[in-house]
Amino acid sequence: MKRITAQNIALYAGVIAVCAFLLFPIYWLFVTALATSAELTQLPPTFWPKDPQWETFAKVWAERPIPLWLLNSTLAAVGSVALSMFVSVLAGYSLSRFSVRGGHSLGLFILTAKMLPATLLVIPLFSIFRSVGLIGSLWSLVIAHSTLIIPFTTWMMKGYFDTIPRELEQAAMVDGCSPLSAMVRVILPIATPGLAATALYAFVLSWADYAYARTFLTNEQGSWTANLGITTMKGEYVTDWNEVAAAAVFIAVPILIIYLFLERYLVGGLTAGAEK
Amino acid sequence: MRKRKLIDLARPSRQHWLGYILLAPAVILVAAIIAYPLLISIDISFQDVKLPRMGAARKPFTLENYQDLFSSPEFWHTCWVTLKLVVVVTTACLAVGLATALLVNNRFRGRRIARLAVALPWAVPEVIATVIFAWIFDSSFGLMGWLFIKLGLANQMVAWFSDTTAAFWVVATTMVWKGYPFVSIMCLAGLQSIPEDFYNAAKVDGASALQRLRWITIPSLMPVLGVTMVLVVLWVFRDFSIIKVLTDGGPLKATQTLSIMTYNEAFGFFKFGYASAVGVITLLLCVIASMAMLGRGSKAMY
Repeated sequence: MKRITAQNIALYAGVIAVCAFLLFPIYWLFVTALATSAELTQLPPTFWPKDPQWETFAKVWAERPIPLWLLNSTLAAVGSVALSMFVSVLAGYSLSRFSVRGGHSLGLFILTAKMLPATLLVIPLFSIFRSVGLIGSLWSLVIAHSTLIIPFTTWMMKGYFDTIPRELEQAAMVDGCSPLSAMVRVILPIATPGLAATALYAFVLSWADYAYARTFLTNEQGSWTANLGITTMKGEYVTDWNEVAAAAVFIAVPILIIYLFLERYLVGGLTAGAEK
Repeated sequence: MRKRKLIDLARPSRQHWLGYILLAPAVILVAAIIAYPLLISIDISFQDVKLPRMGAARKPFTLENYQDLFSSPEFWHTCWVTLKLVVVVTTACLAVGLATALLVNNRFRGRRIARLAVALPWAVPEVIATVIFAWIFDSSFGLMGWLFIKLGLANQMVAWFSDTTAAFWVVATTMVWKGYPFVSIMCLAGLQSIPEDFYNAAKVDGASALQRLRWITIPSLMPVLGVTMVLVVLWVFRDFSIIKVLTDGGPLKATQTLSIMTYNEAFGFFKFGYASAVGVITLLLCVIASMAMLGRGSKAMY
């Protein structure tokens, strides 16, 4: 075991100080949600809630369509992740294993698509969705979020498949598997952690969207996603910050939980391409 | 002739067909939802379109949108704001991200938790981060105004969002807080791939901690830092939600980036043709900037 040295203590102090400083805004979010209305309109601010108002959470949950917003965000995310994963798993496998003519140019195009500003793509998508009547529907988000997700997931999946030795399929095929069943029965099960990581990352991408939701969803509150809903609670003149903060906690917590428990997978997906 | 299956994918000569079949759904989807809309937006950037309808008759080809754009002081001002924001936020993100990564890369008990904590803001959705900072920088009861008075930097509460300089720095601060964890995560991954032997050898040769950082850590991290920098630049360039929710480009367009201008021209003023022109320019700048920064190493972006 290491002995406690002055250097060690300095290190711990440094780590704690840095974390406290950087995570303060998250702490402040919780403190604000628990503060009384009076505490929010006085200076100095209250750093530790003396009388935590847990009922703000219940109030916001009941008075605002937050469950519906969370459901909408989840549905849009599940839909776009499913669609994107389906095409990018197949494409990633193909790009990894076959030298397909045009595959390289498709790869380059998808790479460029990563650089597409959402604010540019939102313009033609709006016109298209308006003419086919998708405005206001979550399907518009499923499609729009897929444009964000596919460029990432295709290359992530290709990266994962590249790490799996080709000999595995060859062995399966010698044993009588067709190339397709070698992929489905041998490679996909091995790639499950990679699939999970990629899908999680895609989920986070979709959950974070604001631009598309703001443009495609109508004025009807019930159709909003969580991110869109919370921005409407920030009023022009008066804002009930404790209610906004409580709603923000509801919206941030799902992703924070995913991050805290599945960080290994998320980070694996994030850094997969960069280490080579 | 013998009857045989229509496509026998097991035949070695047919195996590459499977490659095409697997690629087909992605090609079709990408063509339909990315390539085709992109072509439409390039197309309408060359037309005098207000609110386009699909299937409406094409307007005549014109360069007017681009001419208006390049002769508009607002556009050049927006480019300048975008550049300032990209430089400030990217530099700060890289500095904070690298510093935090080096800090938690030390060996100590609980460093797994420290690593999670340091990158936690990454998991906070942008809109939520923005809401938090909007409250911290609230002009009546915000924490930061109070802190500025306490520190003697101001005599009264600062109206952050009505001052052009202050608003810019609020936006930059929010973006740095949201952006640095990504750099930490990437740097940590990079740090872990540096072989321990390098450090041991350097220690044997009597290199100090600072020398080890300068001659081993930083050079080994360079490739990762390069890619990370490009990704951060692209993010700042194109980010929408933070600025839209925080300031909507104001006051006096002091925080209006190209991305915000594109959106507001389209959905604020319904000048879709003009907005598309701004968007196309933004895309071109993104592509040029990332190619310039990565050069031949652009494969690393994969």
